[in-house]
Parts: sequence; C-alpha cells; structure tokens
Amino acid sequence: MPSVLTVNNAQKRFGRTRALAGANLALENGERLALLGPNGAGKTTLVRTIAGRVKLHQGDIALLGEALNGSPAAQRVRRRLGIVPQEIALYPLLTARENLEAFGAMHGLGGSALKERAKWALQWTGLADRAREPIRGFSGGMKRRLNIACGILHEPEVILLDEPTVGVDPQSRQRIWEMVDELCRRGASVLLTTHQLDEAQQVCDRIVIIDHGKDIAAGTFHELLRDTIGTQRRVTIELESAPPQALLQRGYQAGDDNTVLCTIDDVAEELPARLNEIKAAGGAVRDVHVQAPSLQAVFIHLTGRELRE
Amino acid sequence: MIGTLMRISWLNLKRDRIALALTFIMPIVFFTIFAWIFGNMGTGGGGEERSVIVVDEDQTKISGRFVQAIDEQKSLKVVTTPRATEENPDPAPYTRETATAAVRAGDYSVALIIPEGFGDEFGTFVGDSQPVQLIYDASNPYARFSTAGLLQAAAMTTAPDILMQQGLGYLEQYGGGLTDEQQNAVDTITPYLRGERDWEELADEETADDQSATEREVNGEDASDAGDAGFAGLVRVEAIDVRGEEYDMVAYYAAGISVMFLLFSMAGAGSSILEEEETGTLERLLSSNVSMTSLLTSNWLFFVALGFAQVAVMFIWAALVFDLDLLPVKRLVGAVVMTLVTCAAAAAFGIIFATACRSRAQLGGLSTIVILIMSALGGSMVPKFVAPDVFNLTSLFTFNGWALDGYLKVFWFDDPAAGLAGTLRGLAPQLTVLIGMTIVFLFVARLLARRWETA
Repeated sequence: MPSVLTVNNAQKRFGRTRALAGANLALENGERLALLGPNGAGKTTLVRTIAGRVKLHQGDIALLGEALNGSPAAQRVRRRLGIVPQEIALYPLLTARENLEAFGAMHGLGGSALKERAKWALQWTGLADRAREPIRGFSGGMKRRLNIACGILHEPEVILLDEPTVGVDPQSRQRIWEMVDELCRRGASVLLTTHQLDEAQQVCDRIVIIDHGKDIAAGTFHELLRDTIGTQRRVTIELESAPPQALLQRGYQAGDDNTVLCTIDDVAEELPARLNEIKAAGGAVRDVHVQAPSLQAVFIHLTGRELRE
Repeated sequence: MIGTLMRISWLNLKRDRIALALTFIMPIVFFTIFAWIFGNMGTGGGGEERSVIVVDEDQTKISGRFVQAIDEQKSLKVVTTPRATEENPDPAPYTRETATAAVRAGDYSVALIIPEGFGDEFGTFVGDSQPVQLIYDASNPYARFSTAGLLQAAAMTTAPDILMQQGLGYLEQYGGGLTDEQQNAVDTITPYLRGERDWEELADEETADDQSATEREVNGEDASDAGDAGFAGLVRVEAIDVRGEEYDMVAYYAAGISVMFLLFSMAGAGSSILEEEETGTLERLLSSNVSMTSLLTSNWLFFVALGFAQVAVMFIWAALVFDLDLLPVKRLVGAVVMTLVTCAAAAAFGIIFATACRSRAQLGGLSTIVILIMSALGGSMVPKFVAPDVFNLTSLFTFNGWALDGYLKVFWFDDPAAGLAGTLRGLAPQLTVLIGMTIVFLFVARLLARRWETA
C-alpha cells in the first residue's frame, strides 16, 4: 500500500526541551495507525506538526505525496487533511447544526454541499434529533462525536484523531469506533493517538510507539509482540494442594497459593497436554488462567514505563 | 485549619499579580486621580489657571485696572489677543464677535466683555449700570460660576479709592459730612488706594504712630476673600450662553459613558479570542483554511459593528428619553462618523488586549485597570472642565480624551453656520488620531498574534 502520510526524521526543540528527536512514521492508504507514547513523548507535537501548527527544525513530512513545506501546493494538499483535536473545540452556544456549518465553511464548504454534509454528519453522529439544540447541554459523548464530525465534514482523505475517546463512557466509545470504521470504509486513512492500549490493539491496523521524541517501535500488534516480549501465553494453574516436586523439575515455576506457572505458544494443542502432565505428576487442577501477551506489556517492555506515567 | 486555608488564600493572591494590583495599587491610583480633581475644586481651582478672553470696549483707566485685577486673580489668566499663527503672525485683539466665536468653538470656556461706560458707573451701585457680559458655554458651567465669583473679587481690588469716594459721597448725601479728622484720614489713605504710594510705607508710619491696623485689613487681605466678605455684586454680571439656547449635559454624559462602556465591551469581546484559545477552537480554526490575519480582521469588524450598535442604542435612548438633539443632519452625520471611527479604535483596543494577554483573567484585570484610568484621565468619569487644566494635556494620551473631544465638537462646538464639510473638517484632528490609533493597535496586535501561529 502506498503511504499517504510520511514523517521522516522529525526534529523540534522548544527552548531547551527536545520535543521531537528524529521521529518517523508512515501511514498507509486506508490504514488505521495508532500513535502511542507516554505523556511528554512527543505525540501531540508530532500531530501538531502534521497539522501545520509546528515548524520542524529538521526533517520532512509528506502528505499524499506532497511535501508540507509551506508552498502553495502544500497549502492545497493540507485541505485534504482532517484534524480532530483532543479538546472539545466547538462553540457551546451554537447548535449542533450551526457548529457543523461553521467548521464546514472554515474548510471551504458552502451552499448546498455544506448543508448536505451537515445533514449527513448529524445522521452519522446520531445527533439528528438534537440538531437545533445548543451543544452546551450535550453529554460528553455527544460533544465528542460532534467534535469528530466537525473535523471530517470536508471529506478529508487523511484524518488525525487526537485522543478521540478520552473521557467518554464505554457505549460512546464504541459508537465512536463505529464512526471511525465507517470513515475507513469510505477510504479515509486515520492516524490516532490514544491512551487506551486495548483500543489501539483492537481497532488499529498498526501501532507506532514513540518515546523521548523518537519512534522506538512500529508494526502490527503481532509484529510488536514478536519483536519484543514474544507471542507466548502465560498459563497460571491453580492446584488443590502444593505442587508436586516433579512438576517443578519439569520446568514449571511455583507461584503463590498452590499455583504453578508456564508458557505456551498454542493453547489448543499445548494446554491439554500440560493438564495431563500435571495430572500424571499427582496434581489436582482447580482452575486455569491463560493470559495472552498484551500491548501494555509490550509498551512497558519498550519504554520501561506505564503509558499514563 | 483556618490558618491553612487563609495561607492558601494569601499565596493565591500573592501569585496573582493582577489581582494584587487591583487590590492595593488601583485604589491608590484612583484616589490620587480623584483627589487631584476634587481637591483642586475645593480651593477654587487651586494653582490651576483658567484662561479667559477679556474684551475691553470701555478702554478707560478704570476698565484697564479692572482687567489688570482680573489677571492678578490666581485662578484666571487674561487673554486679549489670539495666538499668533503662521497664517496670522500678528493677530488683532479679540472683539466681542471673535471672542464669542472662540468660546463657541471651544477654544476658551469664558469670554468677558467690559462694555463702554463701565468706568463711569464703576462703584456707583446703580441698579441698572452697564453689566460685564460673561459669555460662556453651557458645556462648562463650572467655568461660568467660578469666573463670575472671581470677577467680584477683582472688582474689589480694581479701584478701592473710587469705591471709597463713592461711599463717602453716599455718606455725605444721606448721613452728613465727615469731621476734619476723618477727612484727613481719607486724604492720607487715598494715594495708597490709587496705587500712587506703597502700602508698606503706610504700615511703617502706622507702626511708628502705634495706630490701629484698620487700613492693614484692606492691604493684607486676599482679594478673593475680600470679595466673598461682603462686596459680592459690586460688578453686575450678565451671563450669556454662547449658543443662545438651553443645553443640558446629556450629550456629554451620553458620549462619556458610551466611550467608557465601549472600551469595556471591546475588552470583553476581545476575551472571546482567548476563550477560543483556551478551548482549542483557535487551534482548530488555524488548522483549517483560516489565516491569523483573516481571523483578527473578522473579529475586529464584528467588534466595530457591535460597538457601533451599542453606542447607537445609547444615543437613541438619550434622544428619546432625555431629548438629546441628534439633528440637524450634519450633526447626525458627524455623530455617525465619530462613532464609526471611535468604535474602530475601541475594537482594535480590544484586539490588542486579547493578543497581549495570556488568559481571560489577565485580560479582565489589566483592561479594567487601563480603562478606568483612561476614563478618569480622559473625561469619561469626570468632565474635563471640572478637572485641572493639566487634564487637557493628560487626556491627549487617552483614547477617551480624543473620542470625547470629537463628540463634544459634534454636539457642542460645531458652528451652526458651517456645512457638513465644515463639521467634518472640524473633526479632522480627532478622526486622524483615532484612525491612527486603530492602525497602530491593529499592527501591534498582528505582531503579538504571531505567538498563536506556527510554533
């Protein structure tokens, strides 16, 4: 797939603070790419750079094959970019429709096209029946959906979503991801930042992990697992009594409270064999817990920190 | 617990410099300004001089001494001839007509016309004697009353010898003649009253003779005090409103209050830009097709329209409820032009505050300080004619001063005979300065707004 957005060796300083230290990423056409990193890693600076709000000291960015260097061509191609900020950047006293029409106009829409797009967006966000209400009375989830709609009203080919689900309940979050799915089905490519590792793992095609202003890993979830902590599942087996010595001699680790631990690659093939082995060794199994490797584990492995630190 | 909470409150206040300034510095600043204004009022103007035009039509020795006595009043300065200009390096002395025109134009607040025959009737206490005409502008009632009072004081020091002779004449007529001793005393003091001998010589003689200090009371007293003591009404004064019709102060206060609240409104409107910054909307707008220049321009144009509507409503209210006369058409046009230009400058003022301040709280505090000070010094709170003359200088550095001067020209000082072009020409200085302020404010605001552009 060709890249619709590439960032090469992005470097930026704010005074003595090095915000970006050679970050790279590539967003492929139709892809959902998650940008992960601890607070202060440089995610927002990178997104603002792509949005044209921060100038790099070094490095370059290309959008849809055009270098974003301030040229008229770059200005034109930037109009094919949709930006959804983390903040609810809307006018609270305006109605949902008025907000949509205002931001649509800012992106060059007008006349019947604007009205059509606003109508579509109200349906898309599920806010059609609240279109005439000032949004200050909306719930957080409703505002956030509208926030997204205002950023994509002009049908951009590349969309930057900065923390699109922050501060919303699980139902609203699910609704937002359904909206993002629809955008991708329509052909948009999405770069998003999120603190929800499970969401990044579930809804994104690939993940870029950034720390100290630099990308430190990129790939699909499985690629990241393979390159870091591996793909093995961790199995915790709880026994009725203390684990037999024979199990420990066969490589099982003793855990807390009559448990033993082991790792397996294939649950279907290896787990029944392990259980038989324990039974044969004189152990009585009370419970089994299989833990798949997580993105959180990958993240901690790579950065040495929890995401929220 | 209470101590901890108080400490938190103190730390919050200490670290909020604007709040700290509002708490401690602002009261002092305002006290100083108002004490300066009203403190001087209580002493009849204090050391501040008020220039008054004096036209001496009598041209007698008495009228000359009267003019000199007026000039010797601490609060009055006599002007008899217009200032020389490049066009007219040797101007003719003021006449009744040119003096009236100067007051009408707002160049001076008062003109005194000493009529022919003044000297003949001075000190005769004749009920229908020739009055001194005090030509004033109703926009400055303080000047009228203070000048009229000081005229009586001046009259007392003009020709005490004549006053005494007139008094003695009345005494002889109705109470019989003086004794020889009394006549000698009168003869002795007359040269001093005429100014032919120095009063100090008499004082020396009296000390030597151990006489009573009756004469010293006349010599040593402050002239204005003597006037107040019992000779008020010595000179008949006929006050003439230069416009020949009744005007109240509605126009002044409508303009003054409008301009002050216009500034508050514009500062408040400017805070909407900071609100957009705080909510992320500004970032979003600038990430779209909107440039910073177009964003500032649109805000400025909206603020101008908002301000114009606000001032228009104020003047319409004043016209409907307080009979403010907005006509003839040239006055209306002048008011519209002044309002447009004033709103343009005020809107730019709001924009510059928005771009200079880092938060809405900062803007609120800072703009309040600046607006209140400008309003006080510029005449929005206290009319300039009540304040010391130095306010005419300080107001030149305030937005309010120029705006109010323009409105006063439209509503007060405009020559009824001048056409629309003449009215607008008269506003040229104010319009030029306000437009200049607008351009400078917008230019500086654009520079300051660069902080919101690409980092």
